[in-house]
Amino acid sequence: MDLLDNYKKAWKNQPKETNKLSAVEIYKMAHSRSSSIVKWIFIIGLIEFLIMIPFIFMDTDTKGFEELNILWLYETINILSYFIAAFFVTKFYLNYKRISTLDNTKTLMAKIVKTRRTVRNYIFTLLGLMSVLILVIAFSSINNQFSDKTILFKTGIIAIFIFVGAIFLGLVWLFYQLLYGILLKKLNRNYKELAKLDAKE
Amino acid sequence: MQKDLETKFLSDFEQNQNIVHKICRVYTTNQDAHNDLFQEITIQLWKNYPKFRGDSKFSTWMYRVALNTAISLYRKSTRTVKTQDFSDFAYKIKATDYDDTEEVQLKSLYSAIHQLNDIDKALIFLYLEDKPYKEISETLGISSVNARVKMSRAKEKLKKTLNP
Repeated sequence: MDLLDNYKKAWKNQPKETNKLSAVEIYKMAHSRSSSIVKWIFIIGLIEFLIMIPFIFMDTDTKGFEELNILWLYETINILSYFIAAFFVTKFYLNYKRISTLDNTKTLMAKIVKTRRTVRNYIFTLLGLMSVLILVIAFSSINNQFSDKTILFKTGIIAIFIFVGAIFLGLVWLFYQLLYGILLKKLNRNYKELAKLDAKE
Repeated sequence: MQKDLETKFLSDFEQNQNIVHKICRVYTTNQDAHNDLFQEITIQLWKNYPKFRGDSKFSTWMYRVALNTAISLYRKSTRTVKTQDFSDFAYKIKATDYDDTEEVQLKSLYSAIHQLNDIDKALIFLYLEDKPYKEISETLGISSVNARVKMSRAKEKLKKTLNP
């Protein structure tokens, strides 16, 4: 007889929970507030969308852009960001709605990760657009203001610009790693465990 | 309608609650965490109950939702204070069963299970509950072959802890 068979017998004979819940207690529990990871993902995602709203609908003084001859770029990016926001909010909501504990474990985890990624991609897309805009502004104003300086000088200033921008984006990335780390550590570990298995197929 | 659904749910759940308790014992090591996970599973079961069409047994459906909650949705609540540890459950075992060997076996079985990772815990739990491989692979979303491979590895790990 296998060693585990003995233990299985003990498992089968294990006493039932002594503090069994009554229907009333179950009712109360069923109607209490969930603290599941999916709920947190939804709340944090919503907050992120809300935080980005002022950036999208910001009423900027466009004079500077006109002077630099890049008003068209500003307007394009502006309109693009409305569409991007609408697209990601819809996608986020649909992904969130698709999460169901009736799925198998692997599918469920994949859907949770996907929902979380939607928000991350949204933030990264907006940051990417902003970076493009800022870079163009930097290039144009440097060209205008320092037209008499050497190429080396201009390149230096642009390099500093890019460096500062990279640090900023790096910080945002770090923040995301941290947020992901805290929120999805357990889930990612379990997901890898299941995915690793299928890779061997 | 809602009222009927609720009554049906409560009676089904009340009868089968031991399944959830067992899952909580597998995934937590103290009473506070046990209660916390139990509550989250209850919320998820109720939330999904309208989608339960009765084409499978209530208990089968319950295994899936409860395990999914334990593995994927549940995060340790900050309320949980690690003070009582496993001794809590250990004395509960004693209360009804007088067979000393089984009592000892059950205790070491639980502490060995607690050392496994979340997926292995699910596999061993379903094995102990006598679930067929088909159901195990469907619950976890892996192929039958993989379920078998993974199960034999999980069993090996468990045996090593039980009988070093």
